[in-house]
Amino acid sequence: MRPLFLFFSAWLLISCSAKEPLYNTQTYVFGTLVDISIYGETDERAQAVSNAIIQEYQHLHQRLHAWKPSELSAVNQAFTQGEAITVKADIAQMLSDVTRLSTQSNGTFNPAIGQLIKLWGFQNDTFTPHQVDAKAIDSLISKNPRMTDLVIKGNQIHSVNSAVQLDLGGYAKGYALDLGLAYLKQQHIQHALINIGGNIIALGQHGNQAWRVGIQHPRQPNAIATVALASGWAIGTSGDYQRYFYLDGKRYCHIIDPKTGYPVQGMQSVTVLIPPKKQAGVLSDVASKPIFIAPANERLAQAKAMDVPHFLIITSNTDIQVSEAMQQKLTWLDHKAEKIAKVVRFE
Amino acid sequence: MNKLKSQALIGDIFIIVTSAIAVVFLFKTLWSNVPASQLLIRQADQIIGTYDLEQTRELHIHGPLGESHISIEQGKVRFKQSPCNHQYCVHQGWLNRVGQVAICLPNQISLQLIGEKKPYDSLNY
Repeated sequence: MRPLFLFFSAWLLISCSAKEPLYNTQTYVFGTLVDISIYGETDERAQAVSNAIIQEYQHLHQRLHAWKPSELSAVNQAFTQGEAITVKADIAQMLSDVTRLSTQSNGTFNPAIGQLIKLWGFQNDTFTPHQVDAKAIDSLISKNPRMTDLVIKGNQIHSVNSAVQLDLGGYAKGYALDLGLAYLKQQHIQHALINIGGNIIALGQHGNQAWRVGIQHPRQPNAIATVALASGWAIGTSGDYQRYFYLDGKRYCHIIDPKTGYPVQGMQSVTVLIPPKKQAGVLSDVASKPIFIAPANERLAQAKAMDVPHFLIITSNTDIQVSEAMQQKLTWLDHKAEKIAKVVRFE
Repeated sequence: MNKLKSQALIGDIFIIVTSAIAVVFLFKTLWSNVPASQLLIRQADQIIGTYDLEQTRELHIHGPLGESHISIEQGKVRFKQSPCNHQYCVHQGWLNRVGQVAICLPNQISLQLIGEKKPYDSLNY
């Protein structure tokens, strides 16, 4: 009788006090929100690991800052003066990577246009709506700054074009996702989800189910759909709603077409899903940009060039394109959008 | 007499066991399905608090830029006023569904609607 009673008491206690072993923390780095979830560890261990990742992110952000003194702005300064500069090995590696990805997108993903981004005022925490001098844009475009202007020999770098100014805003968050994932694995964490400003990478799963991610509607405060993010998968979105200003009733977003020098018009968002592979995080950040920037008739070619079979393109509330592979992954929440969405065959 | 005592014990055990199962079952079904969503407010890396959405309440949260004014109004919440430059957070408007998020990056304040049935773990934007 007594053992039975004890058994039930213990069972009752466990049933009532069972808390899901999910740790979540948020902080602000890279000028955006970093959100880390870790499942299946004690709060103490999850907190220690998260703190280490966040510290690494803060350090990376300082090193790659485009408009405050940093290792990257020292590179930019050397380029302006036509000098060579020796950088740390990881930065040389990053710049080689960025050049390769830029070439892959036929120059549409172009982090060498720092001067244009500055001209439009987006290299500022508190940018203001302002008309940009068309002559200044034309002048910069004619100088044609490209990643292929960089000459990288070991850790020594110079640019053959003094108009090249690097801004890794479209790369660093993805790089940080890969860095975070590597650290989690090194620490033998089994299950985690890292979200940096909307770019997300998954490790393991949430209990007995895959991590589930909502995709933000570009014009409403709701998720348009959800997707199960299996271990190693990453997701990223380029949108015209994250950083923008209105001038004379027209929206100017932070994504600038390097061929025209003007912010992309007539696009709301491009979401890409990247399967587990080396640099999945980087690709989730980078690969949506060429699709976002390219004119309508070149978007699919850009998706192919970036090797991204999973994409969702929203140009307006009446025009949504979803690739076949992406459609299979999506659970639509917005049924109007689901009806509008045209499924695009890819290859 | 002895037989009667042991029968009473079996009855007691039966009642204890069925009540225990009933308590656990009722607790799990009734307690965990409380429908009212809640609002989680964070400033930087701190959780400011969790608030019941079914009330009318004005909150003033301090961030690096100053005070953000948040309104809870019977099941929905919004950034009413913010010291930030672009007012993206205010333009987000009312939130009323579990999983919805509004973030003021400059003032480092986030509103997140939480509930028992979470539609997703994190938001891609």
